[in-house]
Amino acid sequence: MHHPDEFDPKFRDEVLAEPGGEHLLRCYSCGTCMATCLVRRQYPDYNPRRIMHMVMLGLRDEVLGSHVIWRCSACDDCYEHCPQGIHISDLFKAFRSIALREGRSPPGPTARVNERTCVACGLCVEVCPYDAVELVQKRVLGHKKTVAQVSAALCMSCGACAASCRSASIDLVDHSDAILFECMQQELQGAEVAA
Amino acid sequence: MVDAARHPNIELLTYTEVKRVEGFVGNFKVLMEQKPRYVIIDRCNGCGDCAPVCPIEVPNEFEEGIAPRKAIYIPHSQAVPLVYTIDIDHCIKCYKCVDACGKLDAIDFGQQPKQKWLDVGSLIVATGFDIFDPSELTEYGYGRYDNVITTLELERINNTAGPTAGQIMRPSDKKMPQSVAFIQCVGSRDERYNIYCSGFCCMYTFKNALQWKQTHPDSDVTIFYIDIRTPSKGYEEFYRRAREMGIRFIQGRPSIITEDPNSGNLFIQVEDVALGQVIELEFELVVLSPAAVPRADTDEMGSVLNISRSPSGFFMEYHPKLRPVDSPTDGIFLAGAAQGPKDIPASVAQGSGAASRATRILSSDTWEIEPIIAHVWEDRCISAKGKKCGICATKCPYNAIVVEQGKAAEITAAKCHGCGACVAECPHNAITQLHFTDAQIIAQVHALLAHEPEKKILAFMCHWCSYGGADNAGTSHFEYPASSRGIRVMCSARMDQDFVFEAFRLGAGMVLVSGCHSQDCHYISGQQVGAARFDKLAKRLEKMGISPERYRVEWISAAEGAKYARVIKEMDETLKSLDPEALREEIERVRPALERRLRRLPEIPDVAQALELASVE
Repeated sequence: MHHPDEFDPKFRDEVLAEPGGEHLLRCYSCGTCMATCLVRRQYPDYNPRRIMHMVMLGLRDEVLGSHVIWRCSACDDCYEHCPQGIHISDLFKAFRSIALREGRSPPGPTARVNERTCVACGLCVEVCPYDAVELVQKRVLGHKKTVAQVSAALCMSCGACAASCRSASIDLVDHSDAILFECMQQELQGAEVAA
Repeated sequence: MVDAARHPNIELLTYTEVKRVEGFVGNFKVLMEQKPRYVIIDRCNGCGDCAPVCPIEVPNEFEEGIAPRKAIYIPHSQAVPLVYTIDIDHCIKCYKCVDACGKLDAIDFGQQPKQKWLDVGSLIVATGFDIFDPSELTEYGYGRYDNVITTLELERINNTAGPTAGQIMRPSDKKMPQSVAFIQCVGSRDERYNIYCSGFCCMYTFKNALQWKQTHPDSDVTIFYIDIRTPSKGYEEFYRRAREMGIRFIQGRPSIITEDPNSGNLFIQVEDVALGQVIELEFELVVLSPAAVPRADTDEMGSVLNISRSPSGFFMEYHPKLRPVDSPTDGIFLAGAAQGPKDIPASVAQGSGAASRATRILSSDTWEIEPIIAHVWEDRCISAKGKKCGICATKCPYNAIVVEQGKAAEITAAKCHGCGACVAECPHNAITQLHFTDAQIIAQVHALLAHEPEKKILAFMCHWCSYGGADNAGTSHFEYPASSRGIRVMCSARMDQDFVFEAFRLGAGMVLVSGCHSQDCHYISGQQVGAARFDKLAKRLEKMGISPERYRVEWISAAEGAKYARVIKEMDETLKSLDPEALREEIERVRPALERRLRRLPEIPDVAQALELASVE
């Protein structure tokens, strides 16, 4: 059972103030989003409706600590079906932004930039479907330099940036080129043995 | 109300009770009793000088007991007429008010109740509703916990003209609560109390919650609900507004409320359906939305007016869809929550409807009724021969029959609705029902049992329910055996036991008598008259020697097509399991008894002719 001290009535206002969070109150828990969701097929405990309701109740720690808020792939299938017109993936971005600000980190791999080799060509910025990459000025090894920077709140780990980078300066944590090549080789060897 | 009081064609009789109603549509006589106010209406100008000097203070009913009133009082500041009344049960007769009234001399302690008869053409019943007492639900602690209040109490606390001048404060510490919970369906949609939905609580709760949120945006407003009902125009939009204002909606009916005696705060335990978990939340104030219930004196009023009540206890309409404003008695109409819980728009609509239905009577010289009324053969009525009887009058649901010893029973045509109770109950066959005469029905019995009667189920059906049920079985494609044959009469009250005897005399395999469920009867108490007769008939048939499985009584509503089909199917199976020869033999055995019972049947006008025609065929 949830006890009275677990509820933070101000959490809802915090989400409402966050870009993307403004339509939270429209949700009347019909569950259409949940029935449409593709991510749910992969993660049965993933439930966007429930998360939104928990936010409204003020279950702050449970929401921000949940792996669920990082799972949305922003396919926006739910947005098309939502009878209340709620942009649910935007809402999830708002949850993530709050979580990141508090120092929480996503459970899965996000894109990572090797700032030493990055030449700031901007290809990754162009290909990213989630607008998660931007070019920023930074000090790298004591020099001022323009480099790509990935927002963990927005990155969905699709790998488009890594595939497009000409200098191999951006890849996914746990899914780097090296790891993927190794996997491929193992698979191919396996196939040869089988043949 | 002020408009009504000022209207030249409206006479307002306040503080007045209806004691008796006699007569019929267009010609009612109503006995009114005006209770003594101990204040002369024509002299009191409502100045209010009397109240401040009155030393007595009692809880003010209009303020839900939150504020006091004096023993000389007006119910509320908008009262019409604006005339003071002395609450004589609490008055100590110090006569200070008489001094305060001075020259107006409006106070008269000598007043007595005044009775007067009124001639009226039609009546409208708009007696409203009561509020369920939530202290019956002990789990919510109303009456035990100071800070659990009802929505009407909140209404007064929130009203600028109320006892707190619109300052919301909770009872325990008179502070503005920072969190409030509204609990819906208290005593309604609850098998233990009232199963119906009160209909308007969702909307007024949104109104209260919105008002609260608008004036105190930082406070936490939560609504606990089972289902939200917003069926009328603009309601869903209002609900949406409440959601978007930041009011928290939790689907789930709180199981228990506990109180922290130190802070006076309340803890609500509820299963949050959307979360799928039990949660406990803390609130500074809890507001209950209690059910709307029928007025305590509904029974009394119903017997004065001769109108019946629905299963929910509210007054019953003539027909729920087609005549929702009419009562079962012609000339009496229903308006507002007396007929069932409703909100303001629905009450206004029904009130307007009732007013126009009522004036239709006032503006016509003649009144059209159904042609199926009962008719007395004066030469057959034993009351005309000076004997004591009057059974017909006791069975009539509409009090339409007057029996005076020495005179034949007299039926007031305008009051008769044609249920046929008197016809079937008359032990001397002295009454007939037009279009449903004994001769006509006997002829039908003969025609339907002309061939292989032992393989037939003869079913008597009432027009409103079981006939509708049979029809429903057909339109819904519920299959049932072809062995049944139906005869329609208006009400189960019309199903004379002679019809059943005659059917068995002709060798019917089985007989079914069916009608409305008691609470659905379209003739107030017609079904009860029929049911009592059918009970006696069952015993009588068994005593005669007819196997009990050959006679069945079933109450089938117009929506119960499946039930009709099931009953016929069951009867058919039983019938098939019986040996036709044994059935015939049984009839032969009881034939003398049946014929004894039916010996006077041919005396009824036209019946002999009908029997003769049937035998020729």
